Amino acid sequence: MLFRKALLLFGLCLILALGVSLVSAQEPVTLRILTHWGEESFLAGQDALYGSCEAQTGVNVELEAVAFNDLLTKIIANQTAGTNSDIIHAYNLWLPDFARSGLLSTPPQDIIDTISANTSEGVVQGVTSVGQIWGWPTEVNTYLLIYNKRLLEEAGYTEPPTNWDELKEMSAAISQTDDTGAVTQIGYGIITGWDSGVVHPWATLLQSNGGQYLNADETATAYNSPEGLETLQLYADLVESGGTDMSMAAQAEFTNGRVGMMIMANWWRSGLQNAPGVDYETEVGVAPVPVGPSGDETSTMSYNWLWSVTSTSPNQEKAWEFIQCINTPAAEGEGSPMGEYLVNVLGAIPSMTYDQEAFAEDLGDHFLAPFVESVAYALPEPVVAGGQEVKTRLQAEIEAVLQGMQDVASALEFASMEGDAVLQEFAQ
Amino acid sequence: MNNTRALAGRISESAPPRSHLHRQRMIWAYIFVSIPIIGLLVFSLIPILFSGWVSLHEWNMLSPVGEMPWVGLENYIYLLTQDNVFRQALVNTFVFVIGGVASNVVLGLGLALLLNSKLRGQSLWRVLYFLPVVTAPLALGVIFAFIFNRNYGLINSILVGIGIPRQPFLSSPYQALFVIILMAIYQYVGYYIVIFVAGLQGIPQDYYDAASVDGANAWQRFWRITLPLLKPVMLFVVVTNTIGGLQVFDLVFSSTAGGPVNSTQTIVLHMYNTAFKFSRMGRASAMAFILFGIILVITIIQLRVLRDRTERS
Repeated sequence: MLFRKALLLFGLCLILALGVSLVSAQEPVTLRILTHWGEESFLAGQDALYGSCEAQTGVNVELEAVAFNDLLTKIIANQTAGTNSDIIHAYNLWLPDFARSGLLSTPPQDIIDTISANTSEGVVQGVTSVGQIWGWPTEVNTYLLIYNKRLLEEAGYTEPPTNWDELKEMSAAISQTDDTGAVTQIGYGIITGWDSGVVHPWATLLQSNGGQYLNADETATAYNSPEGLETLQLYADLVESGGTDMSMAAQAEFTNGRVGMMIMANWWRSGLQNAPGVDYETEVGVAPVPVGPSGDETSTMSYNWLWSVTSTSPNQEKAWEFIQCINTPAAEGEGSPMGEYLVNVLGAIPSMTYDQEAFAEDLGDHFLAPFVESVAYALPEPVVAGGQEVKTRLQAEIEAVLQGMQDVASALEFASMEGDAVLQEFAQ
Repeated sequence: MNNTRALAGRISESAPPRSHLHRQRMIWAYIFVSIPIIGLLVFSLIPILFSGWVSLHEWNMLSPVGEMPWVGLENYIYLLTQDNVFRQALVNTFVFVIGGVASNVVLGLGLALLLNSKLRGQSLWRVLYFLPVVTAPLALGVIFAFIFNRNYGLINSILVGIGIPRQPFLSSPYQALFVIILMAIYQYVGYYIVIFVAGLQGIPQDYYDAASVDGANAWQRFWRITLPLLKPVMLFVVVTNTIGGLQVFDLVFSSTAGGPVNSTQTIVLHMYNTAFKFSRMGRASAMAFILFGIILVITIIQLRVLRDRTERS
């Protein structure tokens, strides 16, 4: 009797266990995704983006979105606390640190092959560190001259500048000051107080003057060169001629219609579309970066964002499968869900060439088209350990020149010395 | 007597032995005391010791703790001998502390004296002065940036109105720090007013009455009675304001982020950037320990100087 009861109990337990395991096997895996696309309109679009692949790959997405300024801090804090997300959306300049620390898992070979076959060389370089591709590239950003057609026309110019002499002349002509000494309009806007905002536009000018940001093997800075001196002198000249003014918050004032020209990245498009003082359709123009006296042709700098999977994720395989799903077109000639989100929600340029082709019409917008063209000739921002620090130190020196606190030669010499020390330290 | 002994005997038989009760009480005492001690250990002491350990290593917070390379005192040596931004941050922080403490003491005491007099609508004034204390520093930073804007700010409109040329204020490396000090005074002076008013109200009126009878004028009453008796309050204000000033972060972070050209860079902001922007946690921890040393030394000096005077008075 006792034996029969025990057998019955055992049987019941077995059925229960089997039932539980069957149910849990059918339960989708939860993937935690961390991005910096935290604005309301961007979040709404992401629901649609992830939703299409959740069912297909059997996952549930738990989204965490923070502001760009908080993203690195969040990633670091998560790693320290052992609460890493499965998937992170990372800025490529962080890759050397992430790679060195074993934060990221390497993508499967088929994903690496797809990325290599369907992106430009610059994009591949942008998501590569220590010879390894670390994730699926999403948006690619380049810098071009964005100008206010109305202000240029009011100053008597119908075309944007193509060289630095024209840039200086137009900037001075556009700038205006009222009777009380208040600067009401400037010709050329320079962002301050933000390292990328300061250094990226300056570096595009440097490259358009035939200069380089780092040397070929990326072990030392290369901006303390005759071309670099000319580029920084351009800024000093613009300040002196009144073509620019440090009291004007360039980015905000451009959207208010008070800045004639500035070099900025394509991610700014949605900000310009909602600008209060400038009409996106009729007044915003985009042109290649003006060429400097020592340069032969225009150039620009690009940087990337990428989807990566953390090495601590218990669902790495599923995570890569999910990333692959959102980045793969449903059919030949179509774009991927990610591409659609980047183009139609963010107004960004997708890194994958099939997305660029599929959404060519949307990317043919008067603002985006020149940026898409520039991806082909853009030089990627060097992805090196200590890159952020090098950039911040150069930013301080550029701003010192703009403020008249430092002469051009000393500023570049000091920035170069400090930058080299950082790069050498990490190289060891 | 016999009855008493018998009663005592009965009590001792029925009640638990004294030593057992004592032991039980002690156990409970230890349990209650251990809770905050554990909290202190877990949330303060261990992180402080860990931070000290990290300051002797190179760590980016992404690698496992066990794999941090040992660098000894290298981080400290670098900060004290090579880091120009740290040096500038030190100078800026000291200027901020000196300007802020002096202003808060003088203004706080002056306004407290006014509010403690028979001024009409005292409560309203107190509320008005205290309002900035509860204002978010971020909001304050945005408002001040607008007010001090060179081209359309209120202050410059007033300056132009009285014939003074426009000033760049927050966009000038020579003026930005002073605007930040002004912001700090605006935000915190209300708090110190409340402290000073409480101190003033603790001084017995008899002293003033007696001094008046002896023919002391208002200045003599302030110098001989108010100031000496306010010294304990002064000690509190100076010490807490100095410590707060040395740790300033939010005001700068929200208004200038350390610019232009590091002219408003402070130690804690530089520490934050070093840790979370450059992923150099070892160097940032070393900065924290240097700041701790500075605060400790300054506080000891202040306590020695002001407490001696307070005790003498």
